[in-house]
Amino acid sequence: MKPTLLIGLGNPLMGDDGVGCAVAERLAHDPRLPDSAEVICGGSDLLRYAAQMEGRSRVLVLDAIQDGAEPGGIFVFADGQPGLDDHQDHAHHLSAVQAIRLLEAIAPIRCTLVGIAISSAAMADRLSPAVEARMPAIVDRVLEEVERWLV
Amino acid sequence: MKTVVIEHLARVEGHGGITVELDGDSVAGVRFDVFEGARLLEPLVRGKRFDEVAPTLSRICAICSVAHSLTSLKATENAFGVQVTPQTELLRELLYLGESIESHALHLFFLAAPDYLNYPSAIALAADNPDAVRLGLRLKKLGNSIQEIIGGRAIHPVNAVVGGFGRAPAVDRLIELRHALEEGLKDSDGGIDLMAALPPADFCRCETVYTALRSPGLDSYYAGDEVVVASNGDRTVVRAADYRTLTNEKPMPHSHAKHSTFGGKPFMVGSLARLTVNPQRLAGRMAAAMERLQLRLPAVNPMDNNKAQAVELIGDIARALEITGQFLRDGVRDEPPVTVQPRAASGTGITEAPRGLLIHSYTYDAGGRITAADVITPTALNAASMELHFRRTAEQCPERTDTAIAKRLEMVARAYDPCISCSVHVVHRR
Repeated sequence: MKPTLLIGLGNPLMGDDGVGCAVAERLAHDPRLPDSAEVICGGSDLLRYAAQMEGRSRVLVLDAIQDGAEPGGIFVFADGQPGLDDHQDHAHHLSAVQAIRLLEAIAPIRCTLVGIAISSAAMADRLSPAVEARMPAIVDRVLEEVERWLV
Repeated sequence: MKTVVIEHLARVEGHGGITVELDGDSVAGVRFDVFEGARLLEPLVRGKRFDEVAPTLSRICAICSVAHSLTSLKATENAFGVQVTPQTELLRELLYLGESIESHALHLFFLAAPDYLNYPSAIALAADNPDAVRLGLRLKKLGNSIQEIIGGRAIHPVNAVVGGFGRAPAVDRLIELRHALEEGLKDSDGGIDLMAALPPADFCRCETVYTALRSPGLDSYYAGDEVVVASNGDRTVVRAADYRTLTNEKPMPHSHAKHSTFGGKPFMVGSLARLTVNPQRLAGRMAAAMERLQLRLPAVNPMDNNKAQAVELIGDIARALEITGQFLRDGVRDEPPVTVQPRAASGTGITEAPRGLLIHSYTYDAGGRITAADVITPTALNAASMELHFRRTAEQCPERTDTAIAKRLEMVARAYDPCISCSVHVVHRR
């Protein structure tokens, strides 16, 4: 088992909501990805990957964040994810923040949430031009974060 | 006149909300605001080849990806007159069971149980009762394992293809699955214990019309092309191709979802409807679980949908074990998918998603490219029934405070296990 796991979350049919998945897909094919890191392109239900998360030294969860910041910006929240809303607002799955807090409460899992800023999520099968244009920079920034946790 | 408003219905995706207008003790008006994204999907598939449609539409929802994928395949195969093999039908049934097990475990343990026990979320429940949360996670993982072993990966199954199945599961994986299912049966007994210990939630008594796919055998979710509407002892059969007579949709000014009624009456879809329409399933472990949970059919309390999910959970694991045993006994052949000859035609597929009847209906041109698509989700079908049950809940709440009425309304809404939009889930700062 590789010590670092990256999980990209998002719904690729909801435009920029799928940015976490899109970044994970690009990382999976990026030669710069360290050998010690594994990538999963997930949907929108992080709990599905609970079993794969156990036993890793660090799990990085990539997800869209909507808080008014410029699209493509990166925000990193480690260990407890202070400042993030864990309000239960889903019908049949938990949000990334809820799922991380739940798993950290019952298992020795250490997560870092990497939020990628988006301005809206609407039905579309591709990213918005604004976020697409930032993708190379987003991938670079996420790789820096991966390297940081490898040290 | 006063108004109880739940603007952002907790635990409901999208922006669903409930508004109840009270005139003294009587209810003057009820609105359930649904923003139903699934209806807007047609532009995403128009022009796609027949073999690209299911992989695209399986992405509508991470929890229901198997449901959308298999319903899409049924619609396409019906359009082109394709008959799949019995082995493919059994593999698809097993795949669907995996999704239902996962979805029911998630809903019962992480969304419904905290409600009944007065916890604000599953995170708070985990602090006091981590074993219940671990039990739920194990059952959820079991559902995931089935989907991975049979579907080829954890979400958005790659093995479900038009005309058949991509790759047959390996024997060693089936042995692994049989062991996991045997353990899962013990866990599901624990799930029934948990449900039986929850406080009663008799919030709403209301005669209800139930609508579900008529199961031709033991298959609860995938097989069948006829829908039964069960109303006060009467059973009306509607063929898949005639689904529009069932949905009979009426646009509502307050909602993006059109309201569906049958014979002028709202109807409920989901676990409770499946058990009501298919009583032949209620034997063995399912019958014992019903007795333990004191679930009587036809139910008059929509909260019983939670009990029905628990009964299905145990029945689904038992059925998955039976199918896995059959594959291990008889073997699984590598069968190439049936050759598909596209033609200009329309086809409709109906299945039972974990939260109820799911309809996909497509029109193809002669080259096998889609020209029109209609996707009708269980939550859209349930919208009128939910409003009826909200009205009765508000009328029957003995404590006439906004807080008491709102709490009951939220719990009734969640008992439907609704998915209001599929499925934006971004993180928000406090």
